[in-house]
Amino acid sequence: MSNWIPLWLHKLGSPPTFYRFAGALRPWAMALALLFGAIALYGGLVLAPADYQQGDAYRIIFIHVPSAWMSMFIYAVMGVAAFIALVWRLKLAEVVAMESAPIGAAFTFITLVTGSLWGKPMWGTWWTWDARLTSELVLLFLYLGVIGLYHAFEDRRQGARAAAFLAIIGIINVPIVHFSVNWWNTLHQGSTINVFGQSKISWDMLWPLLSMMLATKFYYIASLFSRVRTDLLALEGGKDWVRKIAESEARQ
Amino acid sequence: MSHPRLLNACAAMLRRDLTLAWRRRGDIAMPVLYALIVTMLFPFALGPEDTLLQRIAGGVVLVTVLLAMLLALDAMFSSDIEDGSLEQLVLAPQPLALMLGMKILAHWLTTALPLIVIAPLLAAMLHLPGAVIPVLLLALLLATPLLSLLGAVLVALTAGTRRSGMLLALMLLPLCVPAVIFAAGAVAAAQQGLPWLAPIAWLGAALVLAVVLAPLACAAALRIALDA
Repeated sequence: MSNWIPLWLHKLGSPPTFYRFAGALRPWAMALALLFGAIALYGGLVLAPADYQQGDAYRIIFIHVPSAWMSMFIYAVMGVAAFIALVWRLKLAEVVAMESAPIGAAFTFITLVTGSLWGKPMWGTWWTWDARLTSELVLLFLYLGVIGLYHAFEDRRQGARAAAFLAIIGIINVPIVHFSVNWWNTLHQGSTINVFGQSKISWDMLWPLLSMMLATKFYYIASLFSRVRTDLLALEGGKDWVRKIAESEARQ
Repeated sequence: MSHPRLLNACAAMLRRDLTLAWRRRGDIAMPVLYALIVTMLFPFALGPEDTLLQRIAGGVVLVTVLLAMLLALDAMFSSDIEDGSLEQLVLAPQPLALMLGMKILAHWLTTALPLIVIAPLLAAMLHLPGAVIPVLLLALLLATPLLSLLGAVLVALTAGTRRSGMLLALMLLPLCVPAVIFAAGAVAAAQQGLPWLAPIAWLGAALVLAVVLAPLACAAALRIALDA
């Protein structure tokens, strides 16, 4: 009686089922992303008070910090999907891992750009070789390496498996890089938001941040689903279910 | 009974790769010449002041050696893939990781060792104080095998692709950041008369880890890349 959940998960792993599932969920995720994003921007740019030290310049935090969270969260998702792809050879996991990489790279890039825009008035420089900045830059190169390796193969599934392996090596490497550059040089402030215990930020500033975090998560889901759908169609081009979709769209 | 046979296979693998490298001695000289030329360009670009060159000497030698190794890395498996002997190796009864470990060792002996031998010359060209040179050599002795091992995993991943040169650089950069930081940290500490053992110990720890794990990862990567 209770085994419909594993059964449903198994079914979800098949490309046609996931294609329909993702198609049904994508508009909702996008709508929620826009809604939470708009609330966060209003709360962050209008309602939240100015910082006593940084004035209005701190407001870039509402873009910078959620992007930085996403850059690491997406790498973790990519690593887990890559592991599943290598161990169980699930086609869907390969596609999810490979389509997560460009989104993660984009969030990493946004983090670097907004960080440098914030650094100019606060630290007086666009870029500094600080530990966190350097790890974020290395993370960007890890993403680009995965994307580059994926596209270097003519066979897409083989490319996906090789790039998945690289993503797993990268996951082992990230803490080592982070530790080594910390030892090397540190200027960036420590974490302000603490999951366990008291956060060092006022609630007026915290809730727009959390709302933006939800917005970026939902945007990731929406973007990932549409990318995966496209990729599945391309990958399964000769299959029956793709032909049926093409025929039904031609009839309309 | 199987142990002597395994040792024989390892020795045969090593002998084969070293013989092949010796037959093309010119290729061994190339990374060395490259490193010499790159090091020579720094005084031209930055000016011949002793104090400035002394300050950057350790880092320049490390990065030059890293780049020279990166250039040679591409060729690690390429001739074996062309003539099909790598596929034979995958099919052979001996453990693939061990055989690849021998290939990596041969590659390190033919590319990194000559670079380490001329490293004192490179350092002297940039006026690095003589007392620091042993620390630089120690750092290179630990850092270059680490780079060879990490590089081998990435070369194995790109084994099935056509254009891998620039891609290799992009993939290796994030992985070699810690090695460069610790090696350069040791040299800089020695130059300032500070204790330099801690970064060297970290490099050694990383090397031990890589010696155990990298051949296994290399074998797994090669199986993925050749599985067409």
